[in-house]
Amino acid sequence: MFSKSGPAVPELVDKCIGSRIHIVMKNDKEIVGTLLGFDDFVNMVLEDVTEFEITPEGRRITKLDQILLNGNNITMLIPGGEGPEV
Amino acid sequence: MKIMSLRKQTPSDFLKQIIGRPVVVKLNSGVDYRGVLACLDGYMNIAVEQTEEYVNGQLKNKYGDAFLRGNNVLYISTQKRKM
Repeated sequence: MFSKSGPAVPELVDKCIGSRIHIVMKNDKEIVGTLLGFDDFVNMVLEDVTEFEITPEGRRITKLDQILLNGNNITMLIPGGEGPEV
Repeated sequence: MKIMSLRKQTPSDFLKQIIGRPVVVKLNSGVDYRGVLACLDGYMNIAVEQTEEYVNGQLKNKYGDAFLRGNNVLYISTQKRKM
């Protein structure tokens, strides 16, 4: 039987709105940005985004403005994270 | 991927705001498309005009009009600097 559970995942994600968040995707890709919002499917709207491709050289792509990230490929969310060390 | 009920309005707000703007659409494959967003839907299906296709950062093709199926889309980004 399940005992009383803590806050649900959407509630936890909601707490990150306005802060930096580090998102690990399925395919050796990571995104760092400021979380503006999300939906029930955890599609995320971010701004001031840096995109990292995890290769031996640690390639980085910096993008400005806002993005809508498809929640399909998200593996892990790290609130306040700065991303991989490059 | 249908966006039906929303906890925060933000993804659907974002989608309404960006129509007509220059965007970068990255697919799961890593291919990049840059052009003017003509229209899109809740599945992230996208129609783009004056599209340039970038593979590994290199311009490979140009299309007058392109339709991208939403299941392939990794992200949609606006290009210009935010005011």
